[in-house]
Amino acid sequence: MEKGKIYEDLSLILARTRQVAIVIGFLLLILLFFCWKVQILDHRKYWTLAEANRTREGLISAPRGLILDRNAVILADNVASFKASIIRENCRDYDRSIVEVGRLLEIAPEDLRERIARYESLPAFRPIVVMDNLELKDVSRIEARRLELPELVVEIGPRRHYPFGNMAAHIIGYMQELTDLELKSGLYPERSLGDIIGRTGVEKQYESVLVGTDGRRLEVVDSQGRSRGEVSRIEPIPGRDIRLALDFDLQQKASQLLEGREGAIVVLDPRSGDVLALASFPTYDPNKFITRFSPQEWMDLIGRADHPLENRAIRGLYSPASVFKLTMALGALDAGVITEQTTFFCAGSAQFYGRPFRCWYSGGHGTLGLTDAIRQSCNVYFYNLGRRLGIDRIAEYAKLLGFGDKTGIDLPGEKEGLVPSSEWSRQFRNSNWYPGETISVSIGQGPMLVTPLQVAVHTAIMANRGRRIVPHLLQSPASPQAEQPDGGANSASADRIKVDLFEKVIRGMWKCVNEEGTARGAKVEGFEVCGKTGSTQIIGRERAEKLGIKIKTHSWFSGFAPRDDPRVVVTVLVEFGGMGGATAAPLAKELFSLYREKYD
Amino acid sequence: MIDRRLFDSIDWTLIGLLVLNSLVGVLVIYSASHYLPGDYHWRQLVFLAGSLLALFVLLAIDYQVLLSFSFYLYGAVMFVLVLMLVFSRFISKGSWIRLPFFQIQPSELAKIAIILALARLFAGYKRSYVNLSGVVASCGLVALPFMLVALQPDLGTAVSYLPLLLGALILAGLRRRAVAWILLLAVLAGITGWNFYLKDYQKKRLTTVVFPSRDPRGSGYHILQSKIALGSGGLLGKGFTKGTQSQLKFLPARHTDFVFSVIGEEFGFVGVTAVLFLFAVFLSRLFRAAGKSRDRAGVYIIFMVSLMITFQLLVNVAMVIGLFPIVGIPLPLLSYGGSSLLANCLGVGLVLNVKMRRFANI
Repeated sequence: MEKGKIYEDLSLILARTRQVAIVIGFLLLILLFFCWKVQILDHRKYWTLAEANRTREGLISAPRGLILDRNAVILADNVASFKASIIRENCRDYDRSIVEVGRLLEIAPEDLRERIARYESLPAFRPIVVMDNLELKDVSRIEARRLELPELVVEIGPRRHYPFGNMAAHIIGYMQELTDLELKSGLYPERSLGDIIGRTGVEKQYESVLVGTDGRRLEVVDSQGRSRGEVSRIEPIPGRDIRLALDFDLQQKASQLLEGREGAIVVLDPRSGDVLALASFPTYDPNKFITRFSPQEWMDLIGRADHPLENRAIRGLYSPASVFKLTMALGALDAGVITEQTTFFCAGSAQFYGRPFRCWYSGGHGTLGLTDAIRQSCNVYFYNLGRRLGIDRIAEYAKLLGFGDKTGIDLPGEKEGLVPSSEWSRQFRNSNWYPGETISVSIGQGPMLVTPLQVAVHTAIMANRGRRIVPHLLQSPASPQAEQPDGGANSASADRIKVDLFEKVIRGMWKCVNEEGTARGAKVEGFEVCGKTGSTQIIGRERAEKLGIKIKTHSWFSGFAPRDDPRVVVTVLVEFGGMGGATAAPLAKELFSLYREKYD
Repeated sequence: MIDRRLFDSIDWTLIGLLVLNSLVGVLVIYSASHYLPGDYHWRQLVFLAGSLLALFVLLAIDYQVLLSFSFYLYGAVMFVLVLMLVFSRFISKGSWIRLPFFQIQPSELAKIAIILALARLFAGYKRSYVNLSGVVASCGLVALPFMLVALQPDLGTAVSYLPLLLGALILAGLRRRAVAWILLLAVLAGITGWNFYLKDYQKKRLTTVVFPSRDPRGSGYHILQSKIALGSGGLLGKGFTKGTQSQLKFLPARHTDFVFSVIGEEFGFVGVTAVLFLFAVFLSRLFRAAGKSRDRAGVYIIFMVSLMITFQLLVNVAMVIGLFPIVGIPLPLLSYGGSSLLANCLGVGLVLNVKMRRFANI
């Protein structure tokens, strides 16, 4: 430009160049401003996102406490188990993931979708377990597709295992996944959706003791989700072990004895209330339920007519039948309506309030006193006691001796049974009590309902000569704190009844077993077993005869041994087992023998 | 062949800035890829050496000579692009031609041919404002390679031809009416492109500029990860090779299109400012070189080269900080890639060429 003539005049286009350059300068400044905004103003936000990107928090499941018997036999432990989970955050295409994962795991896509939908409320990075108890070959199949399906991960964690399967299922209980409803109930504040909790039995009762505190693991991961090392780790705190008062051998024996029947057996230590065995049959294998899916087997179990899930020992309600005669005897003695020498005549049946009531022995027992009436289980004798006592006094003694109220055992779901009284009749039946019913109740029939455990506790009170105990599964109730439901221990005590009255009834129980009484099947040589049988009529005898059918009675036996210084109570109930002496007493004998072998 | 005075007139400062920028690039490429096989940083150094060599060879040829051959050069490049489309199966992979030891991207080198051809076209243009034939000729000149490259399909590179055209037209003088026409055409092109040309993934990229967090695992992923890298760097950054976003591979295309994010993550706002400042100095020196041009064609060449580099810089940075859709436009000089580096070096070579021959009597 210096030498105007040679060079053209470029001033116009140079001016345009400068204008564009200035615009570009501004654009650069704008970009710098946005960098400032992202890097300085929003730094904290993106820093957090970067940390979330590169770190992954994982749970380390705390192993659940073991459940042991009194001799440290393991009844419930933990085994390692693989489970497959979906991390929704890693899904590139949710719908395709569902299809792919479903095909891989052989789960129908709808089921998978429904399952995941249940955990909508969990944060997207939390794995949702879609399948557990994986076998190794499944694990390798999943791992092989790791890169294709970053949303599907295999985790390893402890799983509950019951080495003896169905042996003590009703005591130990089973575990299932926490439901949304339970979570909202606020009963499990520490738990979150997808956790497995004890559903019944000891697993539920002592959930807070058994459950540990899950640990946490912070890992650095790359964009493929592969771990590049651990940043920090909070170790899980394992749950505490629980030692039960249960005796494995007695429990096993009780289970075997009930095999193939329907019924319940309770073995107690009357001194402490330790539950040595508590069996209910039919039973189930709790191992099958520690899965997050409800398998067909589960549905079948729920629907079965013989209710294998019910713990008959604490939830089965039966008429106590002749076992109740002990209460009658003691009540009558204490109330002074009879003495040990009082006799009644049994002619096979007797007339009360204008209606005939039969004795089970139609030939009649003739004239007998209290101990023989117990030994022979004479109905007519106790009909007379019933008439003399009246329903309200019977109810009072029944309650005193362990009926009509929860025993207070440390198991969830116990039933209280029913002790009828005139007030109960007015309140719940809206009608007056008929004196005739008193006669039925005198031999443990009528509206009266008890659980096998109540009968066991009742027998323990007899054995203790009036001292009541609260049955418990936990060996040392002092620690950890056992939860004591209402009732039980704090209800009226039978202590006020004189010990020598108990001795009189016990003499009858002893005779019942050892002097060719109805319970002679329970006799163990040299062990001084005292007991009483019972046969619960399902329908009235007359009715059955009229219908021409023969329905077997429920078969009861309850007793303790030895006579002085009792150490063990055995209660047996076999549904439709026939006469108590024929079925239940021999089963009890087996348990008495085993106890004696083991502890004496 | 090269006069001693010519050699003295070479703008060494500009070359120094070019090399400095490129070396910063090598450093960042190392940080972003040292854990991968492939030795990208060494390869980039070799590319740089080769590109500088090419630059000096280019200096030896008077740009007037280059201009006189520019249409042949343009024709040759178009021929290659057509061949690539026709025989795409055998010799090329998208925009790449596979050669025994390396791959080459003719579409990058096409920029140089377009610049020379446009400069030649407007060399004798003395009007204050461009006329219709000028517009049609220049548009046609750019439209052909644009379509050939867009069909490869490499929309990013194709789009980077447009600022060359716009720059040439601005210099030639655009009336308001013409600007209106161009905008109208752009809108029409945009609509037809959206409906007939753009693939779904490209449309998604466009929409995610507006809503990056709508689909954080899909098309929003790149933008989001890039912003996370930048933002988490803060003022001073996480330190060389300490960026978690890039080292753990959350950041896509770390050593190519997203080197700027790596700079932001590892050197923070300070590093970003420094790099932008370096570019500002470099670009202003490029633009100011126009004033040293002997003739009209020289101004066109310098202006278009400057725009070529500026456009890539602006679009790349805007894309990385989430202001622009993700198109495959690298950060000039810093991103890994031989062809792009070569094209930019040749461009700077043209600028130097013009600047050193500012005296007509040589």
